[in-house]
Amino acid sequence: MLLRSWITFSVIFSLALVLIFVGFLVSASLPFFLDYGLSPIVSSEWYPYEDLYGFLPALVGSAWAIVIALAIALPCGLAAAIVSVEILPQRYHGLINLCIDILAGIPSVVYGLLGIALLLPWLKNNLDLLSGHSLLAAGLLLAVMILPTITRLSQDALRDVDNSYREAASSLGLDWSQRLFSVLLPQAWPGIRSASLLATGRGLGETIAVMLVVGSIDRIPEPWYNLLAPAQTITSRIGREMGEASVGSSQWSALMACGLVLTLCVMLLSILAHAPRKRLARG
Amino acid sequence: MDSPALIATADNIENTLSQPTPSQKIRVEVSELSLKRAGRVILNKLNLSLADTGITAVIGPSGAGKSSLLRCMNGLIKDWQGEIIVDGVASKHWPAGEDALRQHIGLIAQKPTVFPCSIADNVLFGIRGKKRRHDNSQLIESCLKQAALWDEVSDRLNHDAQTLSIGQQQRLCIARALAVKPAVILLDEPTASLDPRSKNKIEASLHGLAKTMPVVVVTHDLDQVRRLGGQAFFMCDGTLIEQGDSETLLNTPQRIETREFFQWSVCDCPSDADK
Amino acid sequence: MANRFTQALLIALALPAIAVPLACLLYLLMRGLPGFDSNLFSLNLGESGFGSSQGIMAQVIGSLALSILSCLLALPLAIGLSLYSRLYAGPRSNSVMQHVLTTFQSIPPLVYGLCGLVVFVHLLGWGISLAAGAIVLAMIILPVLTLNTIHALERVPSDYTDAARALGMSPSRVVWHVWRPRAWRSLLTGLFLAVARTLSETAPILFTATVFSGASWPNSLFAPVTSLQTHIFYLAQEAVDENAVARAWSSALVLVTLVAMFSLIAHLLNRRRSHHG
Repeated sequence: MLLRSWITFSVIFSLALVLIFVGFLVSASLPFFLDYGLSPIVSSEWYPYEDLYGFLPALVGSAWAIVIALAIALPCGLAAAIVSVEILPQRYHGLINLCIDILAGIPSVVYGLLGIALLLPWLKNNLDLLSGHSLLAAGLLLAVMILPTITRLSQDALRDVDNSYREAASSLGLDWSQRLFSVLLPQAWPGIRSASLLATGRGLGETIAVMLVVGSIDRIPEPWYNLLAPAQTITSRIGREMGEASVGSSQWSALMACGLVLTLCVMLLSILAHAPRKRLARG
Repeated sequence: MDSPALIATADNIENTLSQPTPSQKIRVEVSELSLKRAGRVILNKLNLSLADTGITAVIGPSGAGKSSLLRCMNGLIKDWQGEIIVDGVASKHWPAGEDALRQHIGLIAQKPTVFPCSIADNVLFGIRGKKRRHDNSQLIESCLKQAALWDEVSDRLNHDAQTLSIGQQQRLCIARALAVKPAVILLDEPTASLDPRSKNKIEASLHGLAKTMPVVVVTHDLDQVRRLGGQAFFMCDGTLIEQGDSETLLNTPQRIETREFFQWSVCDCPSDADK
Repeated sequence: MANRFTQALLIALALPAIAVPLACLLYLLMRGLPGFDSNLFSLNLGESGFGSSQGIMAQVIGSLALSILSCLLALPLAIGLSLYSRLYAGPRSNSVMQHVLTTFQSIPPLVYGLCGLVVFVHLLGWGISLAAGAIVLAMIILPVLTLNTIHALERVPSDYTDAARALGMSPSRVVWHVWRPRAWRSLLTGLFLAVARTLSETAPILFTATVFSGASWPNSLFAPVTSLQTHIFYLAQEAVDENAVARAWSSALVLVTLVAMFSLIAHLLNRRRSHHG
């Protein structure tokens, strides 16, 4: 009886938490969408003092930062997974896993500190910037932070490839790189794809480290490929302004709306990442 | 219960030790092959030779090292001791590398592994590089015909290969191995879990192949050994303890281990006793 | 030849995955260790230097209080949810639950912080407080912890469960006598990983639980605390003050040590289990 009531309590309580979470996120950002409609999503001015709330600079900033991060972390992480599963002998696996664990275990705020101390001065001196605060810095830092996600999930995907495929390919006389490109990577592809989707979601939601190096200036890069100027991401905007916004003001609900947009993007990525793999497992 | 396995008369002893006739060229020569795994002896100073053509059945109890023997010959297992000479060249020092050796000695596993692509692509899976870009339809047709699969799949070569039945998949694996033009074909219990119809088709295909190259078949099924003909090897505890013409070996085994194995197998399949 | 080239290329690409963490760790030790003096772990709340010369004991205690409290809140719920999934839920509600949990697992911690700010800090009027922060952190780790517990229970062989049920044992007896002895180790592993995870979250507690100065011991559930994570965050922005930066590095080293400690305990528990299994 005790067990039963405990279980009932936790199920009801968790359901309530989920409902509270969704309900308040929506209801806090609803006033904003009622007042301004959906046009702020494509407008580019964000001046809370003049009641201008354009999401575009932050959206573009987030997109650039994650694109840079993926462009670096995907090849590196995939290569690290292939090296650790297919090239190195068993006894080195511990070392690689330790390194990946260290990378995953360093807290976000420490990455921010490392970014301020190492990355910003380096960018400043080598690229002749004012301070180093830039989308490039945010992207580089994010690349390091999503690397463990990509590596671990790709390792799992490669390990899940049935050994009989490896043997069938080698009995046909395919050499190592032919086996890699014609058997292993195609077989592991669904896993690698969802690894990158999940890493994208993680990178989009990363706050503190990005906040410390991105510069937090609401400007769309000018020209659009200028990654060396300070900019803003969705998360850095929320982090910077949430403390200042007064409860119930339009800035407050605009920030909540930013949070809602971010949540929807990340949820979509997570659903995309998990759905096809389930289908494959059933088939 | 007049089991043929128990009739061993003095007349037959000489026949059981028959070697490949001198006129035939020896393609593969295995001498003193040994293999250890985790301290256990898998193969123990095994010697055998394969002639130019013909089927060789390898029989023996589970754990006798039959599969390991095939995997050593094919090069999937590399840390063996001894010598394997293929067409006059030691396989450890195969000139074009170990991948080319595996192409030269085709191996077909017990469980068919087809790749998730079309039937035609599966047949051509081992062919890479420039050759892949040529028109390979003739090659696909001849390989599938040799594997006795062409009639069933000729109209749907572009279909997903994983929709085929297990028996068809196994023949597809044979066709795939043939496409890289091997000089020797090794099969590890190719019909172990198949229905009689697929068994017959595979055996027919093997008879055809044996006219042009040595074919080695590991099997548990004594009926199959009889149907395949050719020579037969009996393996026990990692070594070859008896060999000879398959009919003779089945009817008049010399060694006590062989007799015991046949006796149990005969009990398993009563049809054997009728012959 | 092509093989060698491909392998060399891949190894070159993979090098950052090994070099970067080691470099980060070394640099952290290099900058953090000089700041370890007798003053660092004192509770001295001197007003001078705006936090840069005080000890960080209050921050350590605040961080630990937040993360341990949040795990204690989340653990019973996680166990209850996973028992529901193993005992009562049908395949359909199990799959719904799995999807909801994985989706909520992917939501950025910052958004949980926003939600906590609305509900606990303002709506319920708790203000910036230990309780609000702990509940927000508990919500963040609840999906992770639940999924982990479900996996731990799934690893108990179903033969055991069936045999126990066949003997006429009630669900609660099965849970206590059959599942608990087999699953507690993985459950603890998950718990320690969750503590490590909550210790490294910064964004969600930034506006819900912590203030920069003026708080020391968390003497009430509804009082603000200070934490290592947010302390580092504030100090990191004081790039001109040498003392502040040095303190930030020492605090970062202490934080990483704490996280590593909890992860290590989890790892050891996990290894013992796989040796037994």
